[in-house]
Amino acid sequence: MNLFRSEEHIARWLAGRSPGATISITKLSELAHAWWSDRLSPDWTPHTREQNMGILERLGLTGEFWRLP
Amino acid sequence: MDERELRVRASTYRLFVDLGRTPSVAEVANDCDLGTHETMSSWRALHDQHAIVLNPGTAELRMANPFSAVPTAYRVLARARWWYANCAWDAFGICAALGVDGLIETSCPDCCGPLTVTVESERPDDESLLFHCLVPAARWWDDIVFT
Repeated sequence: MNLFRSEEHIARWLAGRSPGATISITKLSELAHAWWSDRLSPDWTPHTREQNMGILERLGLTGEFWRLP
Repeated sequence: MDERELRVRASTYRLFVDLGRTPSVAEVANDCDLGTHETMSSWRALHDQHAIVLNPGTAELRMANPFSAVPTAYRVLARARWWYANCAWDAFGICAALGVDGLIETSCPDCCGPLTVTVESERPDDESLLFHCLVPAARWWDDIVFT
């Protein structure tokens, strides 16, 4: 789960491996804030799979790649 | 996750942030007024539930996600302190968890050129960069350190 300068840098780094998923850094920031913002709350309880899938779907991260087990 | 595990987890995270480093099992035990054996047992249960990550075969914390207990390629300046994140997602996650703006320093894995991102009001200042996730979500926890 890395940051890259561009698509060209990702393709070169993959060196023939199958690519995963690429999203903008802006989308990544939205995802991280939705996913982690409650992590230090004293009342934290584990997210359910449905809650986490809801975060991904609200951000348009759908399809087999983003399907949680 | 039972009441003791939730208490041990909350203490672990609070101490991590207050101390600016990973707490030992003895420090968490003391904070929770528990024995080290009970605390370690809770840490193992939390590890099994993916709430924290322990180093294999040791009584040491590896991740209190999004925080890393060991140096990584992702450094984050937030709340006047440097932290290590487990990955790019977690780097933004540290700003999110602390509820503050921050500065992320890393390098492009392809060209090794430095990448610096300021996070202000939950937005990165350089919107040209891309995030690549190699492992599908269904397999993230098969090997979370690799992921």
